[in-house]
Amino acid sequence: MPFWFLLPAILITAGVVLVPVAQTAWLSLQDYLLYDPDNARFVGLGNFARIARDEVFWISLSQSFVWITGVVGLQFLLGLVAALLLNQSFWWRGLARSLVIIPWALPSVIIGLMWTWMYDFNLGIINDIALRLGLIAAPIAWLARPDTALYAIMLALIWQGFPFFAVTILAGLQTVPAELYEAAEIDGATARQQLFYVTLPAIADVIATALLLRTIWVANSLDVILVMTGGGPGYATHTLPLYAFLRASSSMEFGYGAALALILTAMLLAVVVLYVRRAARGIET
Amino acid sequence: MIERRSYARRVLEVELPVLLIVLFALGPYAWMILTSLKPQVELSAWPLNYWPRQATLQHYNDLIARTSFASSLGNSLIIAIGASLLGLGVSIPAAYAFSRFRFRGRQMLLTGFLVINMFPVVLLIIPLFLMMRRLGLIDSFLGVILGHSTFAIPFAIWMLTSYFNAIPKDLDEAATIDGASRLQTIRLIILPLVMPGVATAGIYIFITSWNEYLFAMMLSGQAVRTVTVALQLFIGEFTIQWGLLTAGGTLIALPVTFLFLLVQRRLVGGLTAGAVKS
Amino acid sequence: MERRTFIKLAGASALSIPLTAPLARPAIAQGATTVRWWYHFDNPQHSPAELVAKFEAENPGIKVQAESIPWGGGNDYQTRLFAALVAGNGPDCAMVRLSWAARFQQMKALAPIDDLIAGWAGRSDIADNIWKLNKGADGKQYYLPLQYVVLYLYYRQDLFEQAGLKPPATFEDFRSAAKALTKADVSGFGLRGGSGGFDHWGPFVLGGGASFDKGGMLSEKALAANRWFVDLTLKDKVVPASAPTDSFRQIVDSFKAGRTAMTIHHVGSANEIVGVLADKVSAVPVPRGPDGKGWTYFGDESNAVFAVSKAREAAFKWCAFLSTAENNVVLNKFTGQLPIASSAAKDWTLHPKRFVDASAASLPFAASLPDSPKTPDFIARIWPANMQRALLGQIQPDEMMRAIEQHFHG
Repeated sequence: MPFWFLLPAILITAGVVLVPVAQTAWLSLQDYLLYDPDNARFVGLGNFARIARDEVFWISLSQSFVWITGVVGLQFLLGLVAALLLNQSFWWRGLARSLVIIPWALPSVIIGLMWTWMYDFNLGIINDIALRLGLIAAPIAWLARPDTALYAIMLALIWQGFPFFAVTILAGLQTVPAELYEAAEIDGATARQQLFYVTLPAIADVIATALLLRTIWVANSLDVILVMTGGGPGYATHTLPLYAFLRASSSMEFGYGAALALILTAMLLAVVVLYVRRAARGIET
Repeated sequence: MIERRSYARRVLEVELPVLLIVLFALGPYAWMILTSLKPQVELSAWPLNYWPRQATLQHYNDLIARTSFASSLGNSLIIAIGASLLGLGVSIPAAYAFSRFRFRGRQMLLTGFLVINMFPVVLLIIPLFLMMRRLGLIDSFLGVILGHSTFAIPFAIWMLTSYFNAIPKDLDEAATIDGASRLQTIRLIILPLVMPGVATAGIYIFITSWNEYLFAMMLSGQAVRTVTVALQLFIGEFTIQWGLLTAGGTLIALPVTFLFLLVQRRLVGGLTAGAVKS
Repeated sequence: MERRTFIKLAGASALSIPLTAPLARPAIAQGATTVRWWYHFDNPQHSPAELVAKFEAENPGIKVQAESIPWGGGNDYQTRLFAALVAGNGPDCAMVRLSWAARFQQMKALAPIDDLIAGWAGRSDIADNIWKLNKGADGKQYYLPLQYVVLYLYYRQDLFEQAGLKPPATFEDFRSAAKALTKADVSGFGLRGGSGGFDHWGPFVLGGGASFDKGGMLSEKALAANRWFVDLTLKDKVVPASAPTDSFRQIVDSFKAGRTAMTIHHVGSANEIVGVLADKVSAVPVPRGPDGKGWTYFGDESNAVFAVSKAREAAFKWCAFLSTAENNVVLNKFTGQLPIASSAAKDWTLHPKRFVDASAASLPFAASLPDSPKTPDFIARIWPANMQRALLGQIQPDEMMRAIEQHFHG
């Protein structure tokens, strides 16, 4: 009986996910050029050996770490602050909760374009405001400078992702029993002590799940970077998934791109395992 | 929390920071909308004037009348609806099975669907392109919809399973005692109760599919170009049409913003329980 | 898995849409040949509709389906075109670049069109220089030229006069002029170190003796030329601080704002610059090296008819129509580049004459990048990344040349 209920979902998923993943594994062992498939050669682990010697791979990898820690960390901090504030009572709280969520709903492409427009060298509002405030002396091409481009994109992603943390942490805060705070009051705890000894431990579980999920998501995301800089200037905004994508789509090296994608997947596996353990607990009733 | 703060202190410590955060969240969005309403002359004016002196719908007119954007909106609509229907169609029975049956391999399968949601897009997109090419599905609605089902199905299964679980099993048992068959029970009792959840999951898939860029870019062409891909039309080699871009961006963003606000409450419950790509 | 199974699984609800057939395909009259043509214009509001209507009136029985494909800021158009050809749903003909030819050849996507060109009346209206540049590596013709741009040197006539300088003809003239004109708030040369800037590097390094042949980047001459070029930034300091990352927009804006006295670009930006600087600006061909050889980038836009096309002759007719005098003028109004037809160029009024002249004077030593499958990647990844790091002093100039050599010859 359950078999028939599950069959359609399993069949389609096998068709569009499992078969392709197996094919990626097979492709990664070949020197496969999309524009010249007749001359594809089996090279065993040759692609992986080339990747180990590929300077761009190492650049992308180290930037991926900066990218993940910076984006996830700051999304979390901003989200936490927002959640704590939105948990207070004031008359327009409902409205504020709805409005804060909006960046999360938007397509990455639009976010990329919005921020590209704001960072624009000539007409960008960011240069305009910074000039008016006297923070900079001349307009800065934020996205064209290797020393600023990655951070500029990170800001766009932090903007996109902090509402997720705000909303999940807020949901967690609302489950903290009021008695705990009352007990802390009686013991004479300050507001700060209440935060560190009552609130945060009570929502540690929610935070951990959200952090793991976001880490996976941010590590895989490449569309905002693709739209904003395409990985440039030079290799300044290359991250691992983007590099894999570029090698596959613009250089058409499907074998090499597949090998890079597999390495990325393998690296994320540990995080995924941790996350799956937590999430699977949540669904068991 | 407990002590009554003075009004001024609350404004300073809570309302003002909240206002700043809300402004940060809405600023870029508002700036995009304002830009789309400025005539060409004001777009390139320096120093900037923040508020359009002469608001105009010119860019929207141009967008609809002179570019193929309108047909892309239609394409995106078909693909997003298709992805929702396909996702829900196969996920409702699967989620029911996960919720109501205990069978060997259940936990493993459920975990499998969760893990699939974690796969990098890059991992799938390369072989999917080759597969769709072999099936002749490049640049067809079905091709893009199937691409989107890679995230729609696992997501919907997780979300719906948690919604099904929320419906007490006593109801099934009571119906069975009353002589209803399993299918009747599903149709008459469970589905009506789970409908709000189904709608939420459907709308969420719709939003994700509408917003999606990479699959759409790789698997579509001229014939079924989606809005996110069409936007790139306005980025030329030497010039960027900011008026058209921001107008297009606004038209794409407004419907999903509205839908998102519609389902956000129920969504968060499903999201924190299930696993979702943002 | 069978396609049929897929459709079944997709559910009856979705079947109401003809899934595998896109909705918006215009109905084509029976017996007409349809030609699908891909193009990219910078301005999406420009449409080739009037050209299509004119062509269809002249050629009953041929329908042209012009499909606008986004250039997309980078390699979008190119990536899509290759992907569509690989996927088997490519167009009959398309706007293409010379640097892609080798990859097309590897895909076996092109077939020679010499036979068709021989029978085309407009053939003699295109300069020999251009036909030569447009040839494939094997001497056959695969492309039909559509428009061209040649990179030349913009310079500020007024500043040069004040300093008593002539427009530079040699590298050394150029360097001393750049030094003389560099002041507190003006840099002598607006160098483009960011994406697309290989056309600034080429005149001095390829013109100074480097080549794309095996070992051509590592000869003593080549290495010296590249050091000289990098030193403009690191030692001579005649470029703006932002040069290592400046791209098209920044070099043009800096030049317009008077922050640079010279820069290199093509007629595509002439009207915009004249709009601000009026007759303070003029142009000459880029300077040449010590041996009198020179190099400047020939930016082409051609049309190619693909080998798989079932409408080869009709597609060629359409491409030939676009390269014919008055139609070519109309098209170039959309793209802002120069018409390929000599008769159209004679009374070309869309750009001030001095810039058209500088373009024409540059043709004799204009060249495109090598016809190699490695070229697209050189433009998109290898050159920008290595140039930038050399200009920022992160790697030695010679390392950059080694990286380029390695990219092309492993």
